[in-house]
Amino acid sequence: MELRHAQKFFQVFLVAVLAGCGSRQETANPSSGTIELTYWPAPNIQEIQLADSLVHVWNRTHPAIHIRMQPIPVSQSTEEVLLAAIAGKTTPDICSNIWPGALHDYTQSGGLIPLDTFPDFDSVASARVPAELLKTFRSADGHCFQFPWKSNPVMMFYNKRLFREAGVDSAPRTYSEFLRDAQKVTRDTNGDGQTDIWMGERDIRPIWWQRLFDFYPFYIAASGGKTLFTANAVTYGDESAVKVFDFFQKCYSYGYFPRTFFQGGDPFLLEKKATHFAGPWEVATIEKYAPGLEFGVAPLPVPDDHQGPVYTTGDFKNISIFSTTTHPREAWEFVKFLVTAEHDLLLLEICNQIPVRGDLETNPLFASYFHRNPLMTKFAQQAPYTRGMDAVPDLKEIFDAISQEYEICAVYDRKSPAEAIRDAVDRTRSIVEWNQ
Amino acid sequence: MRGRYLSVKRKNDRQAYLFVMPYVLYFLAFVAYPLIFSIVLMFNRWNIVTPMEWIGIRNFVRMIHDPLFFKSLGNTIIFLLIHIPLQVVVALGLAILLNAKLKFRFFFRAVYFMPVVVSGVVVTILWQQLYSFDYGILNNILSSIGLPRIPWLVDAAYAMPSIAIMATWKNVGIYIVLFLVGLQNIPAELYEAASLDGASKAKKFFHVTLPMLNPTIIAIVILSTIGGFSLFIEPYVLTGGGPMQSTLSTMLYIYNQAFYFDHMGYAATLGIVFAIIILTVVGIQRRVIEAET
Amino acid sequence: MTGKMIRYMFLLAGLLVFGYPFVWMIVGSFKPELEIPNLKLWSSLMTFNSYRQVFTKIPIARAFLNSVLVSFTVTSCVVVLGSMVGYALAKLRFAGKGILYILILFTMMIPFQITLIPQYVLMVKLGWTDTYLSLIVPSMMSGLSIILFRQFFMGIPQALIDAARIDGCSEFQILIRLIWPLSVPVIITVAILTFMASWNDVLWPLIVVRDRSLMTMPQLVTIFVIGGESESQLGSLLAAATLLALPVILAYAFFQRYFIESMSSSGIKG
Repeated sequence: MELRHAQKFFQVFLVAVLAGCGSRQETANPSSGTIELTYWPAPNIQEIQLADSLVHVWNRTHPAIHIRMQPIPVSQSTEEVLLAAIAGKTTPDICSNIWPGALHDYTQSGGLIPLDTFPDFDSVASARVPAELLKTFRSADGHCFQFPWKSNPVMMFYNKRLFREAGVDSAPRTYSEFLRDAQKVTRDTNGDGQTDIWMGERDIRPIWWQRLFDFYPFYIAASGGKTLFTANAVTYGDESAVKVFDFFQKCYSYGYFPRTFFQGGDPFLLEKKATHFAGPWEVATIEKYAPGLEFGVAPLPVPDDHQGPVYTTGDFKNISIFSTTTHPREAWEFVKFLVTAEHDLLLLEICNQIPVRGDLETNPLFASYFHRNPLMTKFAQQAPYTRGMDAVPDLKEIFDAISQEYEICAVYDRKSPAEAIRDAVDRTRSIVEWNQ
Repeated sequence: MRGRYLSVKRKNDRQAYLFVMPYVLYFLAFVAYPLIFSIVLMFNRWNIVTPMEWIGIRNFVRMIHDPLFFKSLGNTIIFLLIHIPLQVVVALGLAILLNAKLKFRFFFRAVYFMPVVVSGVVVTILWQQLYSFDYGILNNILSSIGLPRIPWLVDAAYAMPSIAIMATWKNVGIYIVLFLVGLQNIPAELYEAASLDGASKAKKFFHVTLPMLNPTIIAIVILSTIGGFSLFIEPYVLTGGGPMQSTLSTMLYIYNQAFYFDHMGYAATLGIVFAIIILTVVGIQRRVIEAET
Repeated sequence: MTGKMIRYMFLLAGLLVFGYPFVWMIVGSFKPELEIPNLKLWSSLMTFNSYRQVFTKIPIARAFLNSVLVSFTVTSCVVVLGSMVGYALAKLRFAGKGILYILILFTMMIPFQITLIPQYVLMVKLGWTDTYLSLIVPSMMSGLSIILFRQFFMGIPQALIDAARIDGCSEFQILIRLIWPLSVPVIITVAILTFMASWNDVLWPLIVVRDRSLMTMPQLVTIFVIGGESESQLGSLLAAATLLALPVILAYAFFQRYFIESMSSSGIKG
């Protein structure tokens, strides 16, 4: 008696579960025949606003393909959420908050679709993105899993008033100029024996992502556009890296950067430091919290003997389509929709972030925006000369290794730059080997 | 009568199984399974998202060549070398002082014990402010009397000792109470006998008090050792393991490897190795202290 | 100076060392930002500003409730279930009794370092991360509590129990109606130890819970300190710390004796 009941229960249970699974995969509504796709934008206010407008327009003009927008929960990092979703097969169809540094993790388990398999990928992508930059977004197997969307080039913000008062008339372009200006700017203004104005300041704790705002952009600049890896080999153990470490070591040992945690607020906004390395988001922050601050934006300083354009990191966020999608063609249509010139203009207007386009300065569509926001022009000019992250596993750990050496060498002056770089590269090699 | 006794006994057994069932289930799920899984993990490479990959003893090879593994052990030893003696001396000292008919005795004891009950997070936040180089109370006091400011948490040589001092402050309350109990349990006759032998105060202390307090001292040493290897929230909040990895505790290292870098297999290996080390060290300590006294 | 005066001096110094930081913390949470680093215990500009910041930035009240829920549930389970096993070990006869006892001692010896990762993996596999289950279930039983209960129960006269059995009581009834009322001291000890350990635990919640609305109080305050939200405002850090310490200090103020006796008796066992 009991066994039969159990069997029946199990059967019903099985059917219920399967039915539940079935309805999750089903994205076509039988009654109206529309296809429904899920889209995840980044969880910040401006991007949600942008996504809202774009999705609204799309749904009106594409009645057969309905996009449902869902913001990612704020309390977790997008990378964590996406990885968990990939593992649990609960991914959306499209996401526009793809960080290239996590790309390897996403593709390792087959979570993303190679976009270059779409016939019009090449024409769409190369019309938008400069070829040299587009190459850097391909994965090791030659496929392109991310469509370059927006970038936040890291540049040098500087306080014009502090410079003026110290007798510095233009932003330093080389390491020597920076150090020379630092000597004038860093001083004790109220005679209490403690420095009040610093040339710059960085968090001295060896947190891996902090390097994305000092060592990494400086290295890309100094090396003329090299990232940590070239063709999957660790290649950053070169002269340029040593020069970067040496530069920062001098900043700390000459006392131009403080060796303590800054407490009591943001030192750049409080006008306690003269330079700050950040991306275009900083413009909005300054205008909101320190509206009186007179500031300028310049490319990062480079070694004295540097030739050619100054590169930097792009802090890109890209768009990808997940392999769980049942309508890849339609998803691709939406991706193309997101990256048209008109919508890139919205990206500029609403979010103040730079679309990854080569024609920002030449296309008349953007002229009015840049006319109204002259500082953003600097970022637009920098945009073609940016680099992203290498799509390798354990990027966090690699940057952690670099951070440890940076801490020992630059902040605490216990190792020479050459030794520190050598040790960082050694550690990076063993991390890479570990993953083989 | 006998039949009744037998049936009562059998009922006992059956109900007993019901009573212990919760623990058996719990043991299987949260002790046995984790232990076995832990051993399996040791030989694998896993980041939770992708399938596990068998790598044999590569985790061990990695550990032997891992400078941070040894560094975290070294840091823990430094911590223990400062924390344990400090703990014993301060706790014993205050207990001896308290071991008399004093007014407000219970009040003193209550205040000394307070840091024990509050969360480690509260203690850490407090000491973060006390230890701050530029704004901290300790350095403010020092500079106001003309002494140089000490780089408590920002210098690799001072950081772990600073954490050791903070940990002592937090835990000493329990040991004061334990010593008090121990002191009160020493029979007065022992002291009287020693006085009759003409022993000085110091002799009495070393030959009567200390030996009688031996079990308490063992308890402190062992508990502090286990605590030292489990040190987590203090370095996590105060220093993140720095400066220059000087406050990287063994627990923090496991945490970083598992939850920051997603190296589950390697973290499991570290966990087991550290656990074996703890048990060995504690075993040795017990023998040594028992032999000494 | 008499010996007694010297004694008092040292003890007062101890009072300062162990008590002053707390006073400073509480007072500092009310001071305006700039005056916090000084030693003064008073300021003319006391304000609730820091507290306002804390309450608006993080769901601290919710976290408090979470901690209460979790700790209360865990403590109840440990007391009930622990006393059950303790009773069985102390007064009942069954096969495998000796093995079980040794097993329990064994589990108490296993350092947390080993079980941390696999228990986390188990939570992931069961889908319990970011649920109250992961905070409560793994702590539902405690070897130490079982040992303490067993120790205490062994001291209860067998005659009482036999009498109850002959009267026809089931073992359950014996436990609840006879044993528990007689065991108030050990129940209080186990309850306090368990509650404190559960309330103050941070490492485990940090691992299994990421959702803010489920975080326990110490966990949320930790995130507040490490993350950038406090914006390095000392006042809000001290306010958060005070809020975290307050429930415990209040409970401690009233039940101080029980706290001290419970937590030190476990030390002796160690």
